[in-house]
Amino acid sequence: MAGPILEIRNVSKFFGGLAANADVSFSMEEGMIMGLIGPNGAGKTTLFNCITGFYPPSRGDVLFRGQRINGLTPDRVCKLGMARTWQKVRPLAKMTVLDNVMVGALARTNSLSVAAELAMQQLRQVRMDHRADHLAGGLPIGERKRLEVARVLATQPQLLLLDEVMGGLNATESEEIIQLILDIKKRRITQMVIEHDMKAIMRISDRIVVLNSGEKLAEGLPGEIVSNKEVVTAYLGEAFE
Amino acid sequence: MRLPLARGFALAPLLALGTGVVALVAFPLAVTNPYALHVMILLFLTVIQGESWNVLGGYTGQYSVGHAAYFGLGAYVTLMLLQFRQVPPWWGVWIAILLAVAVAIVIGSITFRLRGPYFVLASIAVAEIFRLIALNWTGFTNGAEGILLNEIPPLRIGGRTITDFVSKVPFYYAGLALAATTIAVNWGVQHSKLGYYFQAIREDQDAAHSLGISLPVYKNIALAISAFFTAWSGAFYGLYVGFIDPGTVLPVEVSVQFVLICIIGGIGTIAGPMVGALVLVPLSEALRANLLSDLLFKIGIVSEDTPTGAFLKDNLAHAHALIYGILVVLVILFMPDGVLGFAKKLFSGRRRQTPALPEVSSEKGSA
Repeated sequence: MAGPILEIRNVSKFFGGLAANADVSFSMEEGMIMGLIGPNGAGKTTLFNCITGFYPPSRGDVLFRGQRINGLTPDRVCKLGMARTWQKVRPLAKMTVLDNVMVGALARTNSLSVAAELAMQQLRQVRMDHRADHLAGGLPIGERKRLEVARVLATQPQLLLLDEVMGGLNATESEEIIQLILDIKKRRITQMVIEHDMKAIMRISDRIVVLNSGEKLAEGLPGEIVSNKEVVTAYLGEAFE
Repeated sequence: MRLPLARGFALAPLLALGTGVVALVAFPLAVTNPYALHVMILLFLTVIQGESWNVLGGYTGQYSVGHAAYFGLGAYVTLMLLQFRQVPPWWGVWIAILLAVAVAIVIGSITFRLRGPYFVLASIAVAEIFRLIALNWTGFTNGAEGILLNEIPPLRIGGRTITDFVSKVPFYYAGLALAATTIAVNWGVQHSKLGYYFQAIREDQDAAHSLGISLPVYKNIALAISAFFTAWSGAFYGLYVGFIDPGTVLPVEVSVQFVLICIIGGIGTIAGPMVGALVLVPLSEALRANLLSDLLFKIGIVSEDTPTGAFLKDNLAHAHALIYGILVVLVILFMPDGVLGFAKKLFSGRRRQTPALPEVSSEKGSA
């Protein structure tokens, strides 16, 4: 399959006078992991929202496999094969873990028994099958994050957007998520990952895009990004002399 | 929600269901007291109302307080067709239902853009619009005068002709059939993709949206199903009571009644509206028929001859709305999951009491 799986062309998003995203462009190749980093308020989640249809971009285009998708609603975007998780997890609290994942699986089938089977597969992948009968609202945070990933994987995406799936987790739990992301990569699912844990993001990403104040500050290999002066300044401030 | 479905079929509940159905079918043969039949018909009507609201409010989480619009539409269209155009109700009902569903989809397409309290307010406003139209378009609807039904034409089913609509028996069976149908539809919804999507929308609209669920489409499907049976219950009410006016089928009180049945019984379950009906109908009937003051006299708390007794006898029946309201507030305060949820918690709490204790202490230890 030639051409990028996702192409972002000059995407801007304004809230009143504030530019949450300004003229952001980059593209992603099939199977890669793109890290998306930047200080708080840099516009990472806004960009996710623009890509997945929750906000229409004020300007610019989002192309998925060459098809212009800005203006499509989130459910249509999901059906096309692009799915996202939420920074603040959104479990369907009064439904069981299995039911949560089944809702995702039902995007691809109308049969409950097929959906249940697909859902169990996904739960095994994130090692949460023993929780299938529990109510999602009662899970601890680490398992909520994994449920979120299982549920979104059940929609069978080609491109997965993960919004801080390691946020609030301890070291062991984060390591589990890292392994999970690498497993997903082995399944040739392209991923865009927002994360604040620099060590983790440098380890898993093939390329990294840095946002600052809504603009793209830098893009490159992880090694290039850590040695980029502008990026270091954006994160740590000017050197004091 | 449990899966696979086959697991749900145990013998005991099926037997209980069978016995219940036989008892309900045989009831009018054994009991001929018209008041008893009347209360049963009210029960059926309330179950239909509760189950219809449950599809939208219970499963999908869209708290409509405007179901009087569809109830009133069902009643008005059926009776207007019958009274002004001589269309027999067995045809008129379908026209009324289809119209109500069409109206519901138009209203839904507009109001489902709103969420939470704003949707509730919009639903109230829409129902009020219908009430005001029925009240003021006197040439079309008879306005405040209402519509008094003269006579229901005879109905032929198979080889039998039913003419006796003064008796309550035909309404009893019609009500029973309608109630059974709405319950079956709720069951079907709960055990299908629709049920999963409805509940996902209830739990988190944005999450549902991101998982491939079209919010306007599925909310409108829920509303259409709900409006279908609500209009059905409205037509049934109109034909049974034989008189409708804007004050009886279109006021906010009717909309609130739909919500209350489910809140009292338990929202988002099939049994909830049934429990709600079993609580609300006998309660309001007892208050209305002055059974409460009679009870107080019988127990001997108050004597009928004292001034207090006379006061209660005169006024308690009038205060039925007040007492009803207070009881509803108490249920909402102390049983937030409805009577059904409360009962479930009570039972499971008792059963789990012993094994639950060490779990709690270990949790404390680790914290």
